[in-house]
Amino acid sequence: MNDQTSPLWTHLTSEARLTGTWRSALPAYQNQPSPCLGACPVNGRIATWVKQVKDGDLPGAFATLTENNPFPAIAGRICHHPCETACNRAAHDETVGICSLERFVGDMAISEGLRFTAPVEERPQSVAIVGGGPAGLSAAYQLRRLGFQVSLFEASNGLGGLMRHGIPAYRLDRAVLDAEVNRIADMGIDIHLNAQVADKTALQSLRGQHDAVFLATGASQPKRLPGLDYDAPHVIDSAGFLAASETEQKARSGGHVLVIGGGSAAMDVARTARRLGREVTVLSLEPEGRLPAQRVELEEAAEEGVGFVTGAMLHSVSAGAGGLDIGCIKVNFEPGEAPGQFRASPIDGTGFTLAADTIVPAIGQDADLARWQGLLEPEGPVIGTRQWQTSAPGVFAGGDVASMERFVTQAVGMGKEAAKTIAASLDPSLAPPSPLADPLVVGDRINTAYQDPRPRTHQGNAGVTDRLASFDEVQQPLTPQAAQVEASRCFSCGTCIFCDNCYFYCPDMAITRLDLAYEVKTDYCKGCGLCVAECPTGAIHMREDVTP
Amino acid sequence: MQKIDYCDDGQFCSGHVACAGCAEALSMRVILNTVGENAVGVVSPSCVAIIVGGHPTSSARIPFQHGTLESAAASASGMKRALRAQGRDDTTVLCLAGDGGTYDIGLQALSSAAERNEDILYICFDNEGYQNTGGQRSSSTPMSAVTGSTPAGNTTQKKNLIEIMAAHRVPYIATASPSDLSDLAAKVTKAKTIRGTKVIIVIIPCLPGWGVADDAAVKTARLAVESGVFPLFEVENGVTYRLRTTEKPAPIAAYLDQQKRYRHLSDEDRQALQDDVDRNWQRLLWLAAGE
Repeated sequence: MNDQTSPLWTHLTSEARLTGTWRSALPAYQNQPSPCLGACPVNGRIATWVKQVKDGDLPGAFATLTENNPFPAIAGRICHHPCETACNRAAHDETVGICSLERFVGDMAISEGLRFTAPVEERPQSVAIVGGGPAGLSAAYQLRRLGFQVSLFEASNGLGGLMRHGIPAYRLDRAVLDAEVNRIADMGIDIHLNAQVADKTALQSLRGQHDAVFLATGASQPKRLPGLDYDAPHVIDSAGFLAASETEQKARSGGHVLVIGGGSAAMDVARTARRLGREVTVLSLEPEGRLPAQRVELEEAAEEGVGFVTGAMLHSVSAGAGGLDIGCIKVNFEPGEAPGQFRASPIDGTGFTLAADTIVPAIGQDADLARWQGLLEPEGPVIGTRQWQTSAPGVFAGGDVASMERFVTQAVGMGKEAAKTIAASLDPSLAPPSPLADPLVVGDRINTAYQDPRPRTHQGNAGVTDRLASFDEVQQPLTPQAAQVEASRCFSCGTCIFCDNCYFYCPDMAITRLDLAYEVKTDYCKGCGLCVAECPTGAIHMREDVTP
Repeated sequence: MQKIDYCDDGQFCSGHVACAGCAEALSMRVILNTVGENAVGVVSPSCVAIIVGGHPTSSARIPFQHGTLESAAASASGMKRALRAQGRDDTTVLCLAGDGGTYDIGLQALSSAAERNEDILYICFDNEGYQNTGGQRSSSTPMSAVTGSTPAGNTTQKKNLIEIMAAHRVPYIATASPSDLSDLAAKVTKAKTIRGTKVIIVIIPCLPGWGVADDAAVKTARLAVESGVFPLFEVENGVTYRLRTTEKPAPIAAYLDQQKRYRHLSDEDRQALQDDVDRNWQRLLWLAAGE
């Protein structure tokens, strides 16, 4: 209480009266998860690192990003970015370009040569990781960060899995892939390339040499299209095609390629073939608008001259004039409950013929479960797990081998969660992963009166002629200026940005500004909630007052 | 986003008895801190008088005289002349009144002070009624609004005080809103530098009087501004109108829906209010274009 008096007029200021007794609810400052965090496959703290970009703290943004994802430059190129779909700014004008900002931070980290810091303490326990794709590398990274000894076994001659052998260079530059993969390898991981863990005996022996095993062998077996002769010279499977060298791709494809499938792999094959100078037609079961590939991939494929025949299936292949006559028929397509499930029934009398000389089926891949028969129990098309734990003690599994979620960043998220589970099983003092406890900040918690409508800054694409002439990247990066402008569009949902609105809007002077914090003066706060209503980020809420 | 731009030097104290969430207390905070230490005030019977508080405590650091409802501007005029006689002409004389003490009961005193161009800063907190005596209507109450004395809705137009004051050719008139505290502070700062009679009318959505939620006074004021019900502008020397924005205002529906006092309105009533707002806006554009 202030006892300064004004001698002529009054004895005391009104501070003698404690109006806090009027109150039934009290504002509470609590940062809450943003909707983008909830939607993010790795639950990245997007609002935090985007603010760091806005403030020009790029090393800080990199540190925040890589808490959950060691591949910001890769994810910033190829993530299916459900974060942007969830963005609260969509209702105001346009979503924030989170993915392009992630790429910006990732590229900066590569060009600046940022490394991961060494673990604080080394732990004696060792974990074997089988599979050097996104799930395996993500788990290796998280376990190594915690100080565990990590040995990684990769069947092929290079790390990256699908990121190396599936995604073409025009979507993911190999220098970027190498930089982010090597940064993980440099953390002191014992890496074995060309090291196939062939069967359950090999797996059991690995389990014997390590305290835990994480199985992330992916889905490497192509699904087979019934009625198609895979041994015929004109048929190449998509996985083999994408993994092959450019010379080999050229040798195996004729002048007109028919790609079967509507997902990302089908687009990758189609666009690769266009870069080899081939005519390309995509045949998908799904009708137009329902193709599972990302919208931007479909748009870019169309720009590059890929032809689409949708809502139809192949039923016969025969030799024709100058190539193959491919008999097709229109179908009724009904998606199923789970990802990858569907029903397609041919419509009588809708048959038609397509011409091509090469057929590349790209209808998805299954995990190879047979080699673990007797040790690991399958559950449908994947290995059965409970919290990443398989039926074999000490053997954990994640990524495509244990899930039908088929996006790269989902595998990264699974690798992270599994690593935390493994860590907690080896050292009970480490916390296992926990589901998000706090509710996500919904749009109406954001006071948009403080946000001018500002259009999104989109990344540019290379011109179509240039794209078709090489395997150089299509998407062009944001400039530093554009990145900062785009980052400043973020509402920072659920994160206090210290704008002082709560302080200034209090009619009772009941908020004190501290160093990067605020305090409510319970003696005077009447509990009106103006501070909450005028908060531009939803970082304050009213709670029942339990002050005695 | 722009940070709010003014400095709180502790000129307005906690512990006052304004309703929880009151936009008038919020506006007083900005005004008293912007006017600063070298000032004295007159307050007419109104919510402001209650918020400043009676003897022996005060929520204001500067001295205030509690005047009568008829004579706030006259008291302030006398006070300024007395200060000048003492050689203290640099002291700001602030007059805080409600719409009852300005539009109705104190209009004569204000008109005479304006006529003489007394060097006072007159702030009217316009909550469109006698809100602390039971919420009766005043001549500032808008058409159709329900008040304690017009349970079926007010049947007269809101008096246009700004044009009345403009007709006196006072050097500075402004409208302000608790939804834009930086603008309010800037207008008070500007008024302080001008000699003569300055009048600032601040829109104050009254929580019980208008039927607005405890946390929604600022939002309601913002809607009033954005819908053109209460546009923000300045008038210099009674002739030069300067509008904060000339963008077409938003429809008034969201503003009306925010308040219980308009809940009884038919679609025709609402349209009539919209037409009225549109007409006033057109006139304001014309005045601003004219010189």
